[in-house]
Amino acid sequence: MARARQEEKTAMQVIWSGTISFSLVAIPVQLVKAVETGRVSFRMLHVKDYSPLARRMFCPEEEKIVSPDEIIRGYETGPDRYVLITDEELESVTPERSRTIEIAEFIDMREVDLIYYDHPYYLVPSKGGEKAYRLLAEVMRRTNRAGLAKFVLGEREYLVAVYSTEGVLALITLHYSEEILPDEGISPGETKVSAEEKGSIEKNIRKMMADFDPERYADRRRKKILDILRKKAKERAPVEAPPVGEEEVEGPADLVAALKESMRKVKDKR
Amino acid sequence: MSRKAVGVAGKRLSLSNLEKDLYPSYGFTKAHVLEYYRRISPFILPHLKDRALTLKRYPEGADREFFFEKRCPGHRPDWVKTAEIHRDSEEKMTVCLINDLETLIWVENLASLELHVPLARAGSAETPDSVVFDLDPGDGADILDCARVALILRDLFSGLKLASCVKTSGRKGLHVYVPLNRRETTFEDTKKFSRAVAEIMQKNYPALVTAKMAKELRRQRVFINWSQNDSSKTMICVYSLRARERPVVSCPLSWKELEDLAGLGDPERLQVLHDEAVRRAEAQGDLFHEVLMKKQKIPYL
Repeated sequence: MARARQEEKTAMQVIWSGTISFSLVAIPVQLVKAVETGRVSFRMLHVKDYSPLARRMFCPEEEKIVSPDEIIRGYETGPDRYVLITDEELESVTPERSRTIEIAEFIDMREVDLIYYDHPYYLVPSKGGEKAYRLLAEVMRRTNRAGLAKFVLGEREYLVAVYSTEGVLALITLHYSEEILPDEGISPGETKVSAEEKGSIEKNIRKMMADFDPERYADRRRKKILDILRKKAKERAPVEAPPVGEEEVEGPADLVAALKESMRKVKDKR
Repeated sequence: MSRKAVGVAGKRLSLSNLEKDLYPSYGFTKAHVLEYYRRISPFILPHLKDRALTLKRYPEGADREFFFEKRCPGHRPDWVKTAEIHRDSEEKMTVCLINDLETLIWVENLASLELHVPLARAGSAETPDSVVFDLDPGDGADILDCARVALILRDLFSGLKLASCVKTSGRKGLHVYVPLNRRETTFEDTKKFSRAVAEIMQKNYPALVTAKMAKELRRQRVFINWSQNDSSKTMICVYSLRARERPVVSCPLSWKELEDLAGLGDPERLQVLHDEAVRRAEAQGDLFHEVLMKKQKIPYL
């Protein structure tokens, strides 16, 4: 059973495309978002003419806006002490973009503690990959196995698990173990518990058992905000900002990023 | 009709109406047109070679009615080279290839003042040799605005480690080419690239650039026509004459020249006349040489 698309349809924007591979199998796929957070986002507008506002870096010392060529990154080592690092230095350690999701091993997904789960995506079969995709999704579902791989997305290398969910392949980025904070000292020491106390908790839990049904829950604040917005939009036409060329650039994500980077340098120079 | 028989490279040609004034307000006859193309031939022929030619014929002169001719005329001499092209929607068609001086002279004798060619060669019609950015000024904008856009594009590409070349359109605009010369590149790639570039330019220079065709959006802006990167489209060939009041040429410029000429603030200085085009080519060589030779890859495609 496929999940129904949400009422507010968002086009599946391709974040990455390449292949999943292991041994002799190579399946062409595209990576798309699997979740859209429920936050209703707002633009900050200038109340005078409803122009969208932009963020700028502000120096409180000089009380003025600082231009990009006067900004450098500092890593805080102590109060008012920083180690400086340049864009070039950061770039030199940025891994090459992945062309493939190379599965290194297959693991039992149940062994992965939920605390490692980071961010989920769907994998969509590209032309010619449909059959192998269906096969892999089916076998992985039946065996409850997930493929573990290293994968570069954006500028970071992630540990990812490719798993099957209802006939669809999904990819979830996992936290590295060093990112997981220690839980030492959280669990209280051994205390004596009577069999009666244990039994009573177990009984209560059993009484409240249910199947997981996420549809029964909803973000009520989000729903109320959307209701207000819908009502206001109907009552009065939305305000209009003066026209500016504010449209997203279409194209492969990496290419667009490279163009943006080059454009930033061009504008800095001029 | 007056006729004159001549021999070109051992081929016999019958030239007609040589005294016909094809640019009447300037005084430039068909004999002048033929002479221009003869002198520019070492430079223009490599750019015409193996490309499906679209003739734009002005039998009554540059200021009168013209017609496009995609099919190679049936009355062609038997030594004119041709290619068969067929696109999905169209039936098979025989087109002329201008691969030598005699064909060029024959085509010009048909008063085809303007020579339009696709970005791909006839043998590999889906593989463009370059990406083109056709800079077209809307009402209230001019070639100086195009020059600003072209110079930004040059820097934008150089940030991607891509070399580019520029030529005047011979009308009001400029054409920026990024050489590719790779068999793997498709029009789908070049279209994606040129569109992303046009859109990022529009976003960063909204008062100067539009990536949209709509007329009202083009007012006082330069339209970056990225949709020219298509197998069905043609561009005016570099060094071709244009049918204007005066015999101006779609002429390559070095980036330095463009910078200097644009700095003078006179749009007229960015129009290159026939004699100037010949003089420049003979002195500087073909500034569009890289468009045919340089191998480059669009990053991330």
